[in-house]
Amino acid sequence: MLEVKNLKKTFKKTVAVEDVDLYIEEGESVGLLGPNGAGKSTTISMISTLLPPTKGTIKYKGKDVLKNPDELRPILGVVPQDIAIYGELSAYANMKFFGKIYGLSGSQLEKKIQEILELVGLSDRQKDVVDTYSGGMKRRINIAVALMHNPEFLIMDEPTVGIDPQSRNYILNMVKRLNGEKGITILYTSHYMEEVEKLCDRVYIMDHGRIIASGTKEELKNILSNEETIVIEVAERKQAFTDLLVSQKGINQVAEEENNYQLIVSKGDQLLGEIFEQARQTNVKIKSIHIQTPTLEDVFLHLTGRKLRD
Amino acid sequence: MWNVFLLQWKRLLKKPFLVFLFIGLTILFVYFMGGVQVNSTLTVPVYSESLTEGELDDWLGRLNEGETLIFEKTSAETAQEDIRMNEISFAMMIEEDNYQFLVGRDSQQIAAVDQHAEQIFREYNRLDAIQDEFPGTDIEVQEILSVQVENEGTGGGGLESYKLALLVGMTLYFSAYSVLFLQLNLIEEKRKGTWNRLIYSPVTKIQLYLGYLLHYFLVGSIQIIVSVFILTKLLQVDLGTNYYSLGIVIVSFIFATVSLGILLAALIPSPQSLQIVIPIVATSMAMLGGAFWTLEIVSNRFLLFIAELIPIKHGMDGMITAITQPEPLREILQPAGILVLMGILFMAIGINLMERVVKI
Ligand SMILES: Nc1ncnc2c1ncn2[C@@H]1O[C@H](COP(=O)(O)OP(=O)(O)O)[C@@H](O)[C@H]1O
Ligand SMILES: [Mg+2]
Repeated sequence: MLEVKNLKKTFKKTVAVEDVDLYIEEGESVGLLGPNGAGKSTTISMISTLLPPTKGTIKYKGKDVLKNPDELRPILGVVPQDIAIYGELSAYANMKFFGKIYGLSGSQLEKKIQEILELVGLSDRQKDVVDTYSGGMKRRINIAVALMHNPEFLIMDEPTVGIDPQSRNYILNMVKRLNGEKGITILYTSHYMEEVEKLCDRVYIMDHGRIIASGTKEELKNILSNEETIVIEVAERKQAFTDLLVSQKGINQVAEEENNYQLIVSKGDQLLGEIFEQARQTNVKIKSIHIQTPTLEDVFLHLTGRKLRD
Repeated sequence: MWNVFLLQWKRLLKKPFLVFLFIGLTILFVYFMGGVQVNSTLTVPVYSESLTEGELDDWLGRLNEGETLIFEKTSAETAQEDIRMNEISFAMMIEEDNYQFLVGRDSQQIAAVDQHAEQIFREYNRLDAIQDEFPGTDIEVQEILSVQVENEGTGGGGLESYKLALLVGMTLYFSAYSVLFLQLNLIEEKRKGTWNRLIYSPVTKIQLYLGYLLHYFLVGSIQIIVSVFILTKLLQVDLGTNYYSLGIVIVSFIFATVSLGILLAALIPSPQSLQIVIPIVATSMAMLGGAFWTLEIVSNRFLLFIAELIPIKHGMDGMITAITQPEPLREILQPAGILVLMGILFMAIGINLMERVVKI
């Protein structure tokens, strides 16, 4: 349905996006995963016809989107990463306005507003001014207005940033329903691996403006088929221990976080003995140690040597 | 377009204070800065130390032929006391064939009184001389009548035109202020991303801009009309009857101002900086353009040249012409034309610059 080839965007001298190829089939739910500054929003802005690319093509159903933005726009819904709502108006007034500019009116408009308010769980607060909403509610109304015109293709740019786990779960379930029940094609951007793992069939992993890996979740995890992840919980991290781990043969990546070490090791190597020995040498107290099946987070770590949320 | 236009009204009505504030300020400033009394007549205390009571009364009679100035008899002691107590700013002392002012505070009004009195005295002295040579003629009456007509036009006019310039200047200044501030909401939309939502929608970019511009345009025009209406009533300034010409000037001025706002917004995309820049721009424009003092007192060529580049100057010229001239239509075409040209230029550059920046 959508095909992006060789996309590139430079801002003055900074290259924000380069060599991006991706495609999305009808009804799919596709994730675009990457840390902050990876170029996700820039890519999305080009796909949604806002930002002219420096290079590359974007085709929707075989037609060039850059030349005919009006082919894509009517069926496109965009949930921007910042809350793009008139804060001084109520949720209802916002939805009414955005419904109207898409040509809805009368009882049809009213019905649509109530249907979507129900979906995002804001029915009882619809007359309140949006500025008085909590972060989670603002995120929900931000999604709601993008649904007013029944889009077939929904692009969501980090729609759960900075909200409590409860609201986040609500939104994730909602997105799943939009894709599953209503058949809306979804391009979902995030730097939370769990979200993409939960919602998406296929994933593109982006870093420094480039797609560094892509495929179904299983395919991506197969990148790690010869490797496994060891998570060590310690009482206190020590540089000497880290250094020993890094220089240990068979340990391919080492990431540190609070009281954890996350190691990506070659499968089959018996490394636990060495790790315990090194901990003893450096006086590090190991509280727990376990071996994990890989996650997309591990894939990112494997590919870049960094964690998604640095 | 109409949806976008109506939405702006809805948003304005949620926060209408700014516009009310500026209308209020216009009226307050004009009212106090001019030191203009609500009744537009001015009472001048008059006394004499050398003339007889009867001679002074004769002079009062002649001086009081005009309508805007009232000359009232007082004594030297009272006048001096009142001036000392700051109750009056000046008094007039009449001697034979001559007069002087006793001035406490310097006042704009002295000039008008002086102009009026000088003419009466000059005329009287002239007639007096004629009468000495040809006793018994009755030219006197006719001449005095014609003198009276003349001095009403000029003597009262000094004060009137000062008031008018102040009124028009302040009105335009504060309306420009309001419109420029209002335009912050366009920047805000672009920054927040609601603008992008509008771009995705079937509303075309032209409709989008028109919706906004029309809104600013109307708010600005309404502010000018309300301010002018209230002030002319309050100060009893004659608005004339050339409403079409006046309307043309107002519309051209607001167009130029809205365009200037677009240009500013394009040059300075951060709302915080704009909030600082707008007052500076609006106020320096008003100063250089002659809204705070008349440009007649400016002799610097460079400053006068700068004034030509400022919308407020042409707006004032046009409005004053439309109010005071009997057939102003041809004369206002120049200032209105300049304003429209400025508007087109600012708008074209502004929108072009603005369109280059996309919020992602
Ligand atoms: N208007 C701009 N001018 C210059 N650089 C920009 C601009 N917009 C984005 N960038 C840069 O492009 C890169 C990608 O940004 P973005 O697409 O927002 O990343 P993400 O959405 O993945 O966090 C960043 O390094 C950012 O600094
Ligand atoms: Mg982003």
